[in-house]
Amino acid sequence: MNGEELTEQETALYDRQIRVWGADAQRRLSKSHILVYGMKGTVAEFCKNIVLAGVGSVTLVDDREVTEEALSANFLILPDENLYHGKTLAEVCCDSLKEFNPMVHVSVEKGDISTFGVEFFGKFDAVVVSCCSLAKKKLINQKCRKLPKRVAFYTVDCRGSCGEIFVDLKDYKYSKKKLEETVECQLEFPSFEDTISVPWKALPKRVSKLYLAMRVIEQFEDAEGRNPGETSIADLPGVLKLRKELCETNSVNESQIPDALLERLLIGTSEYPPVCAIIGGILGQEVIKAISGKGDPLKNFFFFDAMDGKGLIEDISEPKPVS
Amino acid sequence: MGVSCGSQGKLTITDDDVIEKSNLSRQFLFRDWNIGQAKSTVAASAAVSINPQLKIEALQNRVGPETECVFHDDFWENLTVVISALDNVNARLYVDQRCLYFQKPLLESGTLGAKCNTQMVIPHLTENYGASRDPTEKQAPMCTVHSFPHNIDHCLTWARSEFEGLLEKTPAEVNAYLSNPSEYATAMRNAADAQAKDNLERILQCLEQEKCETFQDCVTWARLRFEDYFVNRVKQLTFTFPEDATTSTGAPFWSAPKRFPRPLQFSTTDPSHLQFIMAASILRAETFGIPVPDWVKNTKMLAKAVEKVIVPDFQPKEGVKIETDEKATSLSTGSVDDAAVINELLFKLERCRNNLPSGFRMKPIQFEKDDDTNYHMDLIAGLANMRARNYSIPEVDKLKAKFIAGRIIPAIATSTAMATGLVCLELYKVLDGAHKVEDYRNTFANLALPLFSMAEPVPPKVMKHRDMSWTVWDRWILRGNPTVRELIQWLKDKGLNAYSISYGSCLLFSNMFPRHKERLDKKVVDVAREIAKGDLPPYRSHLDVVVACEDDEDNDINIPQISVYY
Repeated sequence: MNGEELTEQETALYDRQIRVWGADAQRRLSKSHILVYGMKGTVAEFCKNIVLAGVGSVTLVDDREVTEEALSANFLILPDENLYHGKTLAEVCCDSLKEFNPMVHVSVEKGDISTFGVEFFGKFDAVVVSCCSLAKKKLINQKCRKLPKRVAFYTVDCRGSCGEIFVDLKDYKYSKKKLEETVECQLEFPSFEDTISVPWKALPKRVSKLYLAMRVIEQFEDAEGRNPGETSIADLPGVLKLRKELCETNSVNESQIPDALLERLLIGTSEYPPVCAIIGGILGQEVIKAISGKGDPLKNFFFFDAMDGKGLIEDISEPKPVS
Repeated sequence: MGVSCGSQGKLTITDDDVIEKSNLSRQFLFRDWNIGQAKSTVAASAAVSINPQLKIEALQNRVGPETECVFHDDFWENLTVVISALDNVNARLYVDQRCLYFQKPLLESGTLGAKCNTQMVIPHLTENYGASRDPTEKQAPMCTVHSFPHNIDHCLTWARSEFEGLLEKTPAEVNAYLSNPSEYATAMRNAADAQAKDNLERILQCLEQEKCETFQDCVTWARLRFEDYFVNRVKQLTFTFPEDATTSTGAPFWSAPKRFPRPLQFSTTDPSHLQFIMAASILRAETFGIPVPDWVKNTKMLAKAVEKVIVPDFQPKEGVKIETDEKATSLSTGSVDDAAVINELLFKLERCRNNLPSGFRMKPIQFEKDDDTNYHMDLIAGLANMRARNYSIPEVDKLKAKFIAGRIIPAIATSTAMATGLVCLELYKVLDGAHKVEDYRNTFANLALPLFSMAEPVPPKVMKHRDMSWTVWDRWILRGNPTVRELIQWLKDKGLNAYSISYGSCLLFSNMFPRHKERLDKKVVDVAREIAKGDLPPYRSHLDVVVACEDDEDNDINIPQISVYY
């Protein structure tokens, strides 16, 4: 780490958070570059958090137009048609985000993210994707993992009153203070593809139902060629059929994935602002931890369901072979 | 979410604070150009630009007993729900009491760094906020702070207290006297206690013995403060309690955690001594409205000015009382002839006042930790570190000093956002209505670990007597303008023997005092009016009394407040 000091401005602005994670962590944050794909409400909250935290730069990718639905849960989009007319979601959010912290460089990257090469992703320290199809998630994750340097990879999705975060930090080494000592830690994160390939039968019996339900919906959208979130209650029969097949293949009981849960995920494709704030806050802290190297990262899935108010961490990885 | 966006909706927000730079790292409704403006007004207009349908009113009042004229009965009665985001326990307890009284849901939350905590308080469904309290942060005993510090926190607490006393409270007292000398004098004569005597002594000191007219006077004051705090007081302390002193049980007096202090020796070659003088003299000058000359920041010239100060010799005295009892809460020592001394002091003050230029006032300084150019933190750190040096306690840098003395709460945007989201989810349930206690969630989370812990709120404790049961949410109502006797009889009919009745902090009746018998046949409201001396608000038609009762087996029964209508 080159010992560039924080400027007087930065020290004054970041005073309260430097007291949480230290000046060194703040320096690392100020040099970091984050890529964000899919500007829905939760991601808007996440971006707000990391911009306030003082990352080096945030690059937004989302060429979709602003819609009525986007206005309902994305507070970065002010309901003034003059401001958003003719602009993409990424462009409008970029304009708003800049205001939160002039020291952070916020910009827009246009184009189809699946066509961006490995070197493109190499410019970033963390990549966060949302509203992403199964195929795209795997592809982007693979490109990130190909790079020699570590590019932290996250997926985040909120459907109705549920939220899911996935974390992939590859081989993550970090140190932490335990009482008076410094302890060196190492964690190995599986890729998204490897994670979801873990046979369901091998998962703990009490694994979050939301994990399984999201995988069913994910595969349904993939098989039907739908855009993420493009579902409705009319799809329920098809989804239930897919659930039956997947449960048979995986030798698990269908009751593990309740009908009611699948219904909620199919219908509730728009987001609740409070859930966006909760998930956006958690994801923000995860990215800050990974960039600063301070704090135990979440490994490797997080689920939230406002119906029961529970927040669950699931560590889904291949069981280590018994020697 | 669309809350308070309908034609009948209203969101009232209040905060007495203004925006400063360090807020911007998480209070994202504010921008750089809002620094200095009122938080509530700026937040309100930012919120309206996000959703123009929001009906919002922004106030700048604290919520406490002193603003009950603003947040009066009607205000509370018209609320649907209260959401608090306070930064101290006392304010939370007050709001909790109000919500209890007016039976309003309270959605309470707080963050500390990466940790966040939410608690839902729902009338009749959950316990109130005050029902379970974290053990309060232990405040060091007064004698520890004043004479026997053993860590830097004690030194900083002392420093903060001295700062406030010297630069804020005393100048404010001076002004109170000068603005209204006869009223002030009467108040002091009426009080006739140790506190009044102390006040007058300090005012006289400011206006007579230690009055400053030039900047050199301020340097003198600073140098003499140094001598008093870090030399003379220590000499006196170790004279009264020598190093080999023993307690009444024969054990060494100066045993751990007490640390034996040594006096400092002032030297113009010690930069920390000079820095102390600089900060102290600059701030003293500010309170007297004396301009600060440029040469102060030049160490050589400052040293020269300090060397001019004549420092009187000090001899420790016999028989000086130094408080060693940890349970003592006051350092003022009262004595029989306080009243006479007070008169003498007032006479001297009057003479002083006549020699002052007309309209003379001092300028009290309010501690502002975040302005790096105001010398406040310099003085606090200086006071604390010199004291630490006396007691061989490791000193701290200005940043750490600011953290401790400024009682700063570390804060980040992420846990703040999470706490807000969790509270808003519960808000849906409150507004929906008719939810059971099991539907609500209290959360504790620590994003650093990460840890997420959710639980159902705890129902309120149920108290029973005969066939009645009640919780802290209940209030009993007695109409018809009853007399004290009638009130007592009403309770007797319930099997409760009332032995004392209070209204606020006034005792209306107690069966311990024979002379209270004459109050039995008076109306409760009239007794209250007599004793509380016109404390009854005109807009109310009832008063709330707390009655202490026993059952027939002499067991104390904790009954609800009783609203007596008249």
